Amino acid sequence: MEPLISMGVLALIGAAATIAGASEDLESDVGSQSNANSQVQLAPQMGYVHRIYNKAIAGEPVSNALMCTVGSTGALVLIKHFGFSPLFALVIGALIAAMVHGSYSVTAIMGREASQARFKQPIYLDLIRSHTPVIMAFAFLTTFSTAVVSYLMVYSLEHPFPFVLLSFLWGVVVGSIGSATGDVHLGAERQFQQIPFGEGLNASQSGQIVRKGESGLRNGIDNLWFCSKFGGPMTGVSFGMVVFLGAWILEVFNPADGVAMGWLSNVLGMVIVIVFGIWNWHIEKTTREEFGPFKEDKGEEATA
Amino acid sequence: MIDIVGVIAPNLLWILAIVIGGTLISISVHFIPVGGAPAAMAQATGIGTGTVMLAAGAGIAGIIAAGAVMSRNQDFGVVVGAAAVGAAVMLAATMIVGTWIYAYGVGVMPVSAKVKYDPITKYRQDLYVSQGTEGHGIPTVTYVSSTIGGLMGGLGAGLAYYALMMVGTYPYAGVTPLEVENLNLVGVVASFVIGFFFINSVIPSYNIVGTIEGFHDPKFKRWPKAAVASFIASIPLAIVAVVAVGALALVGGL
Repeated sequence: MEPLISMGVLALIGAAATIAGASEDLESDVGSQSNANSQVQLAPQMGYVHRIYNKAIAGEPVSNALMCTVGSTGALVLIKHFGFSPLFALVIGALIAAMVHGSYSVTAIMGREASQARFKQPIYLDLIRSHTPVIMAFAFLTTFSTAVVSYLMVYSLEHPFPFVLLSFLWGVVVGSIGSATGDVHLGAERQFQQIPFGEGLNASQSGQIVRKGESGLRNGIDNLWFCSKFGGPMTGVSFGMVVFLGAWILEVFNPADGVAMGWLSNVLGMVIVIVFGIWNWHIEKTTREEFGPFKEDKGEEATA
Repeated sequence: MIDIVGVIAPNLLWILAIVIGGTLISISVHFIPVGGAPAAMAQATGIGTGTVMLAAGAGIAGIIAAGAVMSRNQDFGVVVGAAAVGAAVMLAATMIVGTWIYAYGVGVMPVSAKVKYDPITKYRQDLYVSQGTEGHGIPTVTYVSSTIGGLMGGLGAGLAYYALMMVGTYPYAGVTPLEVENLNLVGVVASFVIGFFFINSVIPSYNIVGTIEGFHDPKFKRWPKAAVASFIASIPLAIVAVVAVGALALVGGL
């Protein structure tokens, strides 16, 4: 493929991946499916009955891998067997995946809340009715975007993996990244806004999640509103970087042109890792200087 | 009937490569700073997700990179190197964005609770740990450890992928050898390597029990046990995989 066209395809892949990452994180925020959900699960046991959607169908990577696989399989059947155009087929595939995900979400919240009946946690049917379509909408976006990434990689950039398998793999990676980045914004900040900004959660405050919203009782959509300002888009940037940079280094130095080019692409990848490392160190340095320590150094004062 | 001995005999070297790959994956998981659920609440240092999920996410990024390179260039070093770099880039992108969220979204600085001074930057750590937590964020030592882990895990996954592709494309007597682009071969090999990666990242998670910060964490010293266990577990896995992929090649890739 012409280098310019492949760069254009890469840009499209990067954009689709960014949307996939952002919607994946927001889906897990509105439905509370992540490590941060441990607090939503714990709250009623500590006496804090809440109105937060509590699903956690599975770990995010596994759940997203399932969604993406279902969507891509549906799309591939429509393309190969029924002769649908790929774009139309990917939309229908993503719709099927969203419906499957919606059904899992409802059974998950029903099961989880029912098991907490002894802690007086009610099952709010209006909550299920209002949140499930939102969860499905984000699941649709994630599946569609991930399927677009996989489709373009297989059929335009000639990646050797089968389309559905690649979609499954990107599903695991997007879940892994969403769980590792954006969910921190929900777990460490949004759920515990009553504690001062600039602290990790004290273990003794576990389960004491905020239950009152800006208007009425807080629910998953309130959390979605907050996390869509920072955590969600940042997750998108992260997944976009993984997909884009991983493919970009192979386009800049194409290994098909020889072993030396292959090694150069690997070196370029390592340069990226080192640059991010320096950036990470710089943030560490500046935050230490600006935020300051939590405790005084009593040991050194005593010696002075 | 498939000639099992005929498949295994020419591929003994690749069986050894798969076993070494599995052992490398197992050791690599100890380097990756897994904060688990507590890290998602800025309650522990590291990346806020589970051991297996994070390691598998990185390993899979490596496998995707190895697959892309293998179809263009079959040089051993380039393919295995691409897998290592692919995994390291995935972890690097995750960690830098994680640091943004800890620093600007939660307002905490990266700090370790397992050591008093960062072994690399020599920054004081204990004063910067907020009350009731086991550290938060990704300090420099953790970033470096994670990069080593990503490279090593990707190397292991790349070794297993390359070895099985070589088993599948070996010119066995009386059959036309498969090509590296054969969809069935690539699908079977990639699926096996993913499963192999999951198995070898679950074994060390019994050592890690929830969280680990990297090579400076006291739990890191337990790695030899997991390495031995993974080495032993990888032997039957490698034999079964080589027989399965070899059989696929013998029947002409279906």
